[in-house]
Amino acid sequence: MALLARVADRLYWAARYVERAEDTARIVRAFHELVVDFPGDVMLRWEPLAAIAGSDAVLVANADDVAGETTVMEHLIADRANPGSIVGCVALARENLRTTREVIPREAWQVVNSLSHFVDSTAHEAVWRQGRDRFLARVVDESRRLDGVLDSTMTRANSYRMFRLGRLIERADMTTRVLGVRAAALLQLQSFGVETIGEEVQWMGVLRSLSALQMYQRATRGPIEGEAVVRFLLFDAAFPRSVQGCLEEIRGVLAGLPSAHDVISVLNATEAIVSDCHPITSDGVELDTAMDRLQDAIAALDRAIHDRYLAAW
Amino acid sequence: MDELLTATGEPRPVAAALMELIESQGVAALIERQQAAELDILTMGITFTVYSDGENIDRAWPFDIIPRVIPGQEWDRISRGLSQRLVALNRFIDDIYNDQRVIADGVFPAELLDASANFRPQCRGVRPKHGVWAHISGTDLVRDDDGVMYVLEDNLRVPSGVSYVIENRAVTKRAFSELFKQQQIRPVDGYTDELQRLLISLAPDGVMAPQIAVLTPGVFNSAYFEHSFLAQRMGAELVEGVDLVVGDDDCVYMKTIAGLERVHVIYRRIDDLFLDPEAFRPDSALGVAGLMRAWKAGNVGMANAPGAGVADDKVVYAWVPDLIRYYLGEEPLLPNVPTYRTMYDDERRFVIDNIGDLVVKPANESGGYGIVIGNRATRDQLDEAIAAIDADPRNWVAQPILSLSTVPTLVASPDTPNGRAIEPRHVDLRPFVLTGATSYVTPGGLTRVALPEGSLVVNSSQGGGSKDTWIVDGSFIGIGSNGGF
Repeated sequence: MALLARVADRLYWAARYVERAEDTARIVRAFHELVVDFPGDVMLRWEPLAAIAGSDAVLVANADDVAGETTVMEHLIADRANPGSIVGCVALARENLRTTREVIPREAWQVVNSLSHFVDSTAHEAVWRQGRDRFLARVVDESRRLDGVLDSTMTRANSYRMFRLGRLIERADMTTRVLGVRAAALLQLQSFGVETIGEEVQWMGVLRSLSALQMYQRATRGPIEGEAVVRFLLFDAAFPRSVQGCLEEIRGVLAGLPSAHDVISVLNATEAIVSDCHPITSDGVELDTAMDRLQDAIAALDRAIHDRYLAAW
Repeated sequence: MDELLTATGEPRPVAAALMELIESQGVAALIERQQAAELDILTMGITFTVYSDGENIDRAWPFDIIPRVIPGQEWDRISRGLSQRLVALNRFIDDIYNDQRVIADGVFPAELLDASANFRPQCRGVRPKHGVWAHISGTDLVRDDDGVMYVLEDNLRVPSGVSYVIENRAVTKRAFSELFKQQQIRPVDGYTDELQRLLISLAPDGVMAPQIAVLTPGVFNSAYFEHSFLAQRMGAELVEGVDLVVGDDDCVYMKTIAGLERVHVIYRRIDDLFLDPEAFRPDSALGVAGLMRAWKAGNVGMANAPGAGVADDKVVYAWVPDLIRYYLGEEPLLPNVPTYRTMYDDERRFVIDNIGDLVVKPANESGGYGIVIGNRATRDQLDEAIAAIDADPRNWVAQPILSLSTVPTLVASPDTPNGRAIEPRHVDLRPFVLTGATSYVTPGGLTRVALPEGSLVVNSSQGGGSKDTWIVDGSFIGIGSNGGF
């Protein structure tokens, strides 16, 4: 089955935006968990979260928004002007799928279309703590549902492969960003001098945000401690949200696409950078730097895919 | 007159089951069904695009839940009339671009052709497969007070609406599932299959499994939903001009991630003039340079053929009954609305003298634009229309003001307890006709409804709604000119 380069581009980005909406929801939940574990004197500020989620915007919280929470939540969840907000990502995913309906199963379009109607009507409620978790959970669920529909009804042709590529690139990137959230929290806690309080609870939050807690425990059969969590999320290829797991799946997808050699050599370089990465987790600065480096490597892979498959038109 | 009710307000036999259900359940239950249908439309993503406030906005498709119902027997007669009309129109187009016998024989005036905005000299001498140019047509029908169904206009260029015929049915099936059990309502789903067969038959000789592409102006076009829908249903590629290229071998290729791949048949939804900057408007960014070359060389089939619009301007319309007699030696099965041609002095004088009782239409507009309805226009608007006719008589026609038939419709009614009420609203009907080696007519078509009270403007771009159209088989007394009232 032929796949137009223009359509490939839209599918790839539709997948990235859906995954980004899902992962932004995951990141917000992860940070939320950290915040509620530190009430009172030790107050975490929310602004670093926006940067981690990939936003360049300079956010200025107003005076009664003490920790910047509603300002950042508005920006990351409900702000239509921010293409990286959940509302923005879902709108872009919908638009990309609306314009590629001829290649995707009808039910898949309907999942994203309903999700779009849902976030449009409900996002403003999620800016406040009360409605937030239910909203975020639904965004994650619908994104998983989309994968379920595609998994069970879409022919494994190039169109499916392009969608998978978008999913996996975004997911690998976002796993590094979730670890970045943890790094940011570490840095803040260090400045309070309380970095060791409830350590395993915090790492548990990180794992939970990636739906990884149970799989981590089965894989390690040990206690929850920072270094092991980072190792699991980066290197355990058997876990589908780990960076290594995503890269291996990308390798499998590329094997089915026409003339992928150039992309595969960039993938090799990316994998080399990942296996080279040994962050010492008690140090927030180092974890932060390591994740930045991984994000650059993943961005290079995205460029290679773009140059080979999407730029032809 | 009303399509579902008699003059005394009794349901016509063909609509008895439907009206009985509505009456027994009451307005509140009907409103619930309407709301469920609107939710379906939202979740299924059935939309159309409107240009408003400088933006193209994707809006939910306007749909009224009460269907329009036509007896099968009556429809069979209309359907035969439509096939006949399209066969004759295609013979005419083929003749105009080739031998022009119709002009030599004095049936059609040569000066009309010279002045036609839709005649494409670039198409002279081309002989498309089956001798057919207008493969897909959307013919607008209206029923007047006399019960007769008239042809109001032929749309032979890029008619749209058929996707909504199919989607309206999908929605109605859920809303009135019990009625689909009780009676034989003809299915409409077969259209895309018939269209696909037709397009395959246009492939260059020797191509066994042709690659079909639907060519769209892009996502901002008002009919983009339909372009996408048809591509989905036919398993065709949906392409924009930028996706295609014509090679030195005069073949059409599309740009895939694996390189260039040949396209054999194009269902184009772009107007002639934007199709190929080499042949038509050089500034068109929507089209594909060299497409006309490829088509003339027989390397790509194209529907509708470029130039097919020559037969659908509103002046040529007045000659269609004569064309049917000339080419087929048959009497037209479907009547035209009487039409005054302002290019002739006597008819123009009549139009100007009686303009308050006539509808004046520009020859080459579609979508209801430029139409002046005599009894609703101000004196200034009428004077403007007269001036426009005098300035360019070839570009205008006039017709008596028809009183379009109505169908009960669920409309806003703020003073009633439910906020909505069932009231008659004017409708037209657009069946779609496929013409190739054989003919196919959709059972029914798109019923468009003018929602404001008394309004005759059914276009969705101007606030019109739509209804499902049921062709119901059974032993009903036919309605229409055969005296079923």
